[in-house]
Amino acid sequence: MTPLIWLLAALFLPLFPLSMLFNALLARVTHVWLRGLLLLVWPQVGLALLATTSQPLPDLVLPWATLTAALYALRALAMRDLGGWSGFIATSSWALLWIALWAGRDHAVVALYALGFSLPLLLLAQLGACLERRFGAAYTGVYGGLAQSLPRFSAILVLVVLAVVATPLFPAFASMLGMTIAIVPGSPATAVGMLLVWLLWTWAGARLLQGLIVGTADAHGGGDLGRAATWSYSALLGALVVAGVVSIGWQL
Amino acid sequence: MAPAWLVTLLVALPLLSALLTHVLAARLGRRVADISVAAAIATFVLSVGLLAAALVGHATDAVALAGSWGILLFDPLSTLMAFVIAGISLVVHVYSVRYMAEESGYARFFVLLDLMTAALLVMVSAGDLITLVVVWHLIGVLLYFLLGQDTRSHSAYRYAFWTLFTYRIGDLPLLLAAVLLFDAYGTWSLAEIFAQLTVDPHAHEVLGLPLLEVVGGLIAFAAFARSAQFILHTWLPYTMDGPTPVSALMHAGIVNAGGFLINRFAPLYANTGDVLHWIFLVGLVTAVIGSVLMLSQNDIKKSLGYSTMGQMGFMIMECGVGAFSLAVYHLIAHGLFKGTLFLGAGGVINEARHNDGVPKDDLYTFIVERKPVRRQQPLLVMAAMTLIVPVLVLALAHWIVAQDYFQKQGAIVLLFFGWVTGAQLIFATYRLRSDNLLRLVSLVVFSFIIVVVGYTLISHALDGFLYPDPTFGQKIYAAAGIDLFWFDVLVVLLTVIVVFGWFVTYYAERYGLSRDAYPRRIWEHFYALVSREFYFNEIYGRLSNIVTATATRLNVWLRWV
Repeated sequence: MTPLIWLLAALFLPLFPLSMLFNALLARVTHVWLRGLLLLVWPQVGLALLATTSQPLPDLVLPWATLTAALYALRALAMRDLGGWSGFIATSSWALLWIALWAGRDHAVVALYALGFSLPLLLLAQLGACLERRFGAAYTGVYGGLAQSLPRFSAILVLVVLAVVATPLFPAFASMLGMTIAIVPGSPATAVGMLLVWLLWTWAGARLLQGLIVGTADAHGGGDLGRAATWSYSALLGALVVAGVVSIGWQL
Repeated sequence: MAPAWLVTLLVALPLLSALLTHVLAARLGRRVADISVAAAIATFVLSVGLLAAALVGHATDAVALAGSWGILLFDPLSTLMAFVIAGISLVVHVYSVRYMAEESGYARFFVLLDLMTAALLVMVSAGDLITLVVVWHLIGVLLYFLLGQDTRSHSAYRYAFWTLFTYRIGDLPLLLAAVLLFDAYGTWSLAEIFAQLTVDPHAHEVLGLPLLEVVGGLIAFAAFARSAQFILHTWLPYTMDGPTPVSALMHAGIVNAGGFLINRFAPLYANTGDVLHWIFLVGLVTAVIGSVLMLSQNDIKKSLGYSTMGQMGFMIMECGVGAFSLAVYHLIAHGLFKGTLFLGAGGVINEARHNDGVPKDDLYTFIVERKPVRRQQPLLVMAAMTLIVPVLVLALAHWIVAQDYFQKQGAIVLLFFGWVTGAQLIFATYRLRSDNLLRLVSLVVFSFIIVVVGYTLISHALDGFLYPDPTFGQKIYAAAGIDLFWFDVLVVLLTVIVVFGWFVTYYAERYGLSRDAYPRRIWEHFYALVSREFYFNEIYGRLSNIVTATATRLNVWLRWV
């Protein structure tokens, strides 16, 4: 029974090649709220499945999870579609949750780590939908220069991408910190692999931003974010920072 | 109020300024910069007060803002560094008010400048590993956006990304080192970790290696990335597309963080074996290569970039020989003169468009036109003076501050560098055209004495301020020392190489080299390599393309899911 649960969990806490199913599904879901729901709930299902078994995870899960995370972080470098990019980063970060579980972190704690990764992705899905409404596609390198044409939107986008790639003081940083603390005593080599994946996220995030906000504005897809929307996003980002700061303290 | 709470206020001021600048930007327009400048002045005044408190002997203090992290320290190192940062930040703020007036994103620039000031102040006063890791990471992110102030410029962002990526490479070993220390000592507090590791430095191992050696290496690697050490240096000379005030802040303040980090972990390095030797070697290679690359550049800003690289190499090298406080003095002195050069570069270029301003004097004809003197002075007299005067000056200056300096290998290494530099300076006068050679040589020697005595006295005073316990200072020098026999062999070998180099240069310039001579061909190949900056940009660019091409190929194979 346990191997079957592990296999099912590998679909929801995506390990390659089962991870391809999640990304195929995400690509087909076009409704923004459904995408958000998927990003929020998918890893939690995997964690709930794993909570039903008390068997310790095999050591094989460490290289498998690290390589899956590295594969999707690497692939995110060349992904120009914002939706696909979110899916790749989600897959990469959720795969790392296996490492925290292997290191003995409590399932409830790992669920919070997953939430730390998912919440900024929800905001990114919303921003992607905004871009699709304005330009017909959320695609890098097609209509750069958003910092010039949509300054408020660009500022929010920058902060959300920073939150996604686990910049301090956002919750994803706390998740990465907690997982690093957990894995270093048991497997320092895995910790190094995990940190290299983190480095790739930063690279992918910078490429995404440079493809969207940098350059001269040559297309106008309507007006910038309204003041109310800007304040709403800012409040949500502020809440994420507060959650991140609390989470860091709570890890220690 | 306790000094540690004043440190909190010191950090809070630029943060508050960033918030106010952002919120009031629409209402105040360009006048919003006044808030930022006022906060910079207040921060500087407060930093002066804190430094004064440390100088009069106020005890080390700490405040924890968030339980086991968010600890801010009041100690000699943090107050001195905060004073330097606040001072440079104030100058950059004032300079930027008019310099950035025509640029878009005026308010954003001041917000980022304030946030960077706050992050740097937290970095130097961080009393726990988590706070240090968090701000170390954030400084790279903030610098990325400061360098990319012009959001229309793809090239600015390209090189800003190089900086971010190199900084991130340095973040990761610092985090790993922090977690390894926590795993071993069960605390994030730097003071508690240093207290425990001093009691039994060899109590812990990781992967069969002594923990302190591994952690020392990781921290050194983080410092290398931040301070542009050789092979992690390419971002530094290429980030000139950013605004000039940012270049000044970067070269005068941010890039020095490597020297600060090694100083912060001095109690750890005092208990290591070989790590300081590696630090010395990396610093030495960087100092030499940075200086060679600086001399080969014809772009003034790039030349300044490589000059910074050379200086950072020297600073790291000073840490490697155990002269930790000297490294702090070096980073302060370098920060001041490099900041001045950057802020003045624009004015110099503008002035040069109307008038090159270069006087047709001895120095010009010697350096630019490369015309040696027609009537040369007796070689033997000059050679003797060249070799003996620097030795006398350096030995006397060091003897004044510490009679036992000959027992410290680090002091000998630095004396050696001082001697080479002094000898080259004085020997240069031999070839200068001058009507009154005696006056010229006297002025050069006098300047040299001022520099050496100033450097020696100030660094000695700094040593007493930062590391008042003489036993601790000796422990660091001992950790940096090597076997005496090999040390003597290396000193003799280097002396022979340097003197040989002088003779080769002398004969090459006096008699010239034939076109087909083997040394000439070697020299031309070397010059080609240097002028192309050892092809590092091409190699890194190629590697980057290979990685992204692989990512694209993988996406195609896996149908983009």
